[in-house]
Amino acid sequence: MPVHHPGRRLMHSVPLRFVQKKIQGIGQRSINADLSLTSMIDFLVVTVVFLLMTFSASGETPVQKGLNLPKAENTLDMIDAPLVSVAGSQILVDGAPAGNTRAVEDSKRLQRVDELYNMLKGKRETWKQARPGKECPGVVVLQIDQDVQAVVVKSVFQTSAFAGYPNVSFMVNGIPKTEH
Amino acid sequence: MASVSVDSGGKGRRATNMEINMIPMIDLLMVTISFLLITAVWSQMARLNADAQVPGPPRPDEEITKVEPEKQLHIEMRGTVDKDNPEREETVFTVAWKQGQTVVNSFEVRGKPQVTKEQSLKVIRYPELANRITEEWKNVGSHRDATDRKVDQAVLHTDNETPYANIIGVIDAVYQTHRPMNLGNRTEPVSAFNVTFSVN
Repeated sequence: MPVHHPGRRLMHSVPLRFVQKKIQGIGQRSINADLSLTSMIDFLVVTVVFLLMTFSASGETPVQKGLNLPKAENTLDMIDAPLVSVAGSQILVDGAPAGNTRAVEDSKRLQRVDELYNMLKGKRETWKQARPGKECPGVVVLQIDQDVQAVVVKSVFQTSAFAGYPNVSFMVNGIPKTEH
Repeated sequence: MASVSVDSGGKGRRATNMEINMIPMIDLLMVTISFLLITAVWSQMARLNADAQVPGPPRPDEEITKVEPEKQLHIEMRGTVDKDNPEREETVFTVAWKQGQTVVNSFEVRGKPQVTKEQSLKVIRYPELANRITEEWKNVGSHRDATDRKVDQAVLHTDNETPYANIIGVIDAVYQTHRPMNLGNRTEPVSAFNVTFSVN
């Protein structure tokens, strides 16, 4: 009796090659998959168009760490203006310290914050020197934590107004409008 | 490689079928997607406008003319707490249309604020106040015509302990009232009010 190679012998008598390949396990699915270029490019182009439409060139307005802004529906777009932040008890103007709110919190009375007043006044003067003959728009954006008391908000609001910034905007997280 | 067929082309001319190299094209799309994804701003920052009515110094060169004061909407906000039942805590708004010192119309709105918490952020809404202000403005508002470039003034009065999130909730409720305004050759919906604070 002749010696044969080891291997499967099942259905060996069938003379069809594809049947033998199937039995021997050679007819596996190829590991290289075809990718349809048309649908892939369609998908990429749609993604690019969507991202381009939602792209904002104005960038993100920096929010101080640990500051939770409230949310609101009926909002306006952000504008480029000096940013007054009230984080904890510290007041910052464009990231630079401009006094604190402890005196207002302790007295629970509305009062002017002198450091903030001087800083905003200085900013206004700088703006006027850089653009002689132009009217300063007097716009300031307040970035205040959601749990800060009204007396602090009013004090900062009034200080800004007296420093030459009567157009005050409150920075919030914009949310989509609900149907009423 | 993919090809773009523009025309069948004439004899002896340069072929009008152009071949686009797929590899740099896909590279370009991938780089564009990466750039746009990295620079995308997902948090939508916005603002609520308010103005401080600070009168300027008198100008000697200008003649002082007596102007009739405009109607203003005054909203006084105060909270009431039922000590026996804290669940019944509600906010009471005393709303009044005033022309100078004269009260034209006055009403009270009571309601619990709708507080929605999303992570650590609060969304506070006063739907009863917003709806009532809209109704009243339709009847009493001074600047309702689309050609009128002015808007009505709302003055917010709060006590010193009110949290900022509640103030924003009230301002948001006031700004819910919209009216059409002619801006050149187009008409757009704008807020019917401009809000300011009473600092007394």
